[in-house]
Amino acid sequence: MNSILRLDGLDKRFGGVVAADNITFSVNPGTVHGLIGPNGAGKSTLMNLISGIYTPDKGKVFFDEKDITDVPPYERARMGIARTFQAPRFLQRSNIRDNLLLGSDLVDQHSYFKSFFSKQGRNFESELQKFMKMADFEIDLDDDISSLTYGHRKLLEIIRSMLAHPRVMLVDEPAAGLNNKEIDNAMALLNMAANEYGIGVLLIEHSMDMIMHICEDIVVISFGKVIATGKPKEIASNPEVITAYLGRDTDD
Amino acid sequence: MKNTKKVLIKPSTIILLVACALFIVFIPLRYSGYNLMLYNTALIYAIVVFGLSLMLGMGGQLTFAGLAFMGAGTFYVANLCSGRWGFWVNNSLALITTPIVTGLLGFLIGSVLLKLKGTYFTFSTIALVQVAYSFYQNSRPISGGPDGISNIAPLRILGFEFNNYKRWFYLLVVLVIIVALIIERIRRTRFGRSLAAIRDNETAALTLGINVYRTKVIAFAITAMLGGLAGGLYAMQGRFAGSDMFTFERSTLFIIMGMIGGINNTFGVVIGSILVAMLPEWLRSLQRYLQLIYGLSVIVLMIFMPMGLAGIGSEMCKRIKRKITGIHAKKALEEAKK
Repeated sequence: MNSILRLDGLDKRFGGVVAADNITFSVNPGTVHGLIGPNGAGKSTLMNLISGIYTPDKGKVFFDEKDITDVPPYERARMGIARTFQAPRFLQRSNIRDNLLLGSDLVDQHSYFKSFFSKQGRNFESELQKFMKMADFEIDLDDDISSLTYGHRKLLEIIRSMLAHPRVMLVDEPAAGLNNKEIDNAMALLNMAANEYGIGVLLIEHSMDMIMHICEDIVVISFGKVIATGKPKEIASNPEVITAYLGRDTDD
Repeated sequence: MKNTKKVLIKPSTIILLVACALFIVFIPLRYSGYNLMLYNTALIYAIVVFGLSLMLGMGGQLTFAGLAFMGAGTFYVANLCSGRWGFWVNNSLALITTPIVTGLLGFLIGSVLLKLKGTYFTFSTIALVQVAYSFYQNSRPISGGPDGISNIAPLRILGFEFNNYKRWFYLLVVLVIIVALIIERIRRTRFGRSLAAIRDNETAALTLGINVYRTKVIAFAITAMLGGLAGGLYAMQGRFAGSDMFTFERSTLFIIMGMIGGINNTFGVVIGSILVAMLPEWLRSLQRYLQLIYGLSVIVLMIFMPMGLAGIGSEMCKRIKRKITGIHAKKALEEAKK
């Protein structure tokens, strides 16, 4: 199977700190990949390198086998790389509809001029209904975004990414701050994205429960280096991973 | 999703429309001559403040530049319609081309200034206003220098001459409504959403496929278009163009208009513009304290109601709505108990 996203030897330094050191791995369509590692391992840096917020010092990013290393972030989003943030980022003073339309705008890709004269968000509500069933809570599109709970906002950010019809989704800690029911809903959404829409999902998460449950493939990084890749079972029993997470005994 | 009953027109909208209708009918009946001209000028200011509303209200970019483009529009029309260059251009043609010319100018200048971000961009627009002012003051061939340009031909559209302030009032009301509708439409389209995304978080905007720089430049160009249009109207109504109008102090007045009215609210922009423009007339006896009153009212508003007077209005509407839904819920609960 051809990968949809491929990182080839990415290096990124901030002063003396090595945030990414020769990172190489790929994301396949229709698959949920887990990206795990201790705090400060460079997971978020990697997200920023993929979405184009940072440019790597060395190495290349390929999307659909096209070199996108020099493509600006907004072009990458238009090509089909969607992203959610650790803390959901919405238009605080707008209603839910406007916030979700920001996602579906990427499907139409109308110019500002054309958008001025056309109907906003075609097919958007039927699609949304389908996603909301997975998310399992009710919204009124005319309500302010701030009327939602934190958990619901996080779920809605995943939905906004899905409304953009991406081919790759970068999902940053969706489970943090969610209750158990909401975590199940988030997993249902991500499974739907991968299985039904063939999206390649790259999932950063600290909840091992969630990672082991839905990831087909896991990449472990520590101090900016890939230290292991493999199926969940292999990763769980990998001694290097256990050391990275629990620390090495100094007497050793 | 909840199926909420869609109310076709909200009661608050009806109140505002009635207020507008009263304003349109009442003002030209009550006032004439100089006083009516002041209202006309306030409406011209509102067009400039709409540009600011787009940049600052929707996009979160504070700019002082509107006035510089208003000056460009004023002198563009003044030169073409006063015959001082040896020729006359049909003045409705001159007026229609003004926003196009100043818009292009704004696009070029914006492309440079918006390489700067946040406060640095704001400072560069202050510099632009200062440079433009001293240019308008000193460049005789373009602005007539300290004498200004007089004898601008009166506006005539399809044979109908706008030769008194009453006619100007109706023309300006129509133009303000058109601009307001365009701004309201922009708010609901991809451009408006993109600006709002930039205001709230530029990084998130980028990952939503928004070309942040280009979006800001387009917004800046539209600000310049509106400034230019207002300038052209200003020159034609007064039939005189002088550089005194385009000082930095005046551009801070536009910011105050937006802030007091409510920078992200279309009605607020108009209310703020009229209020601030008319205040010197209404408080003639307190002339000395005018700046103090402006300053204090902005401070008080920013502390208690950062969304301006329009913010107070919409907050009150929300409270009433909540109260009504609260009463309904109580009734439903009581009925359920029975």
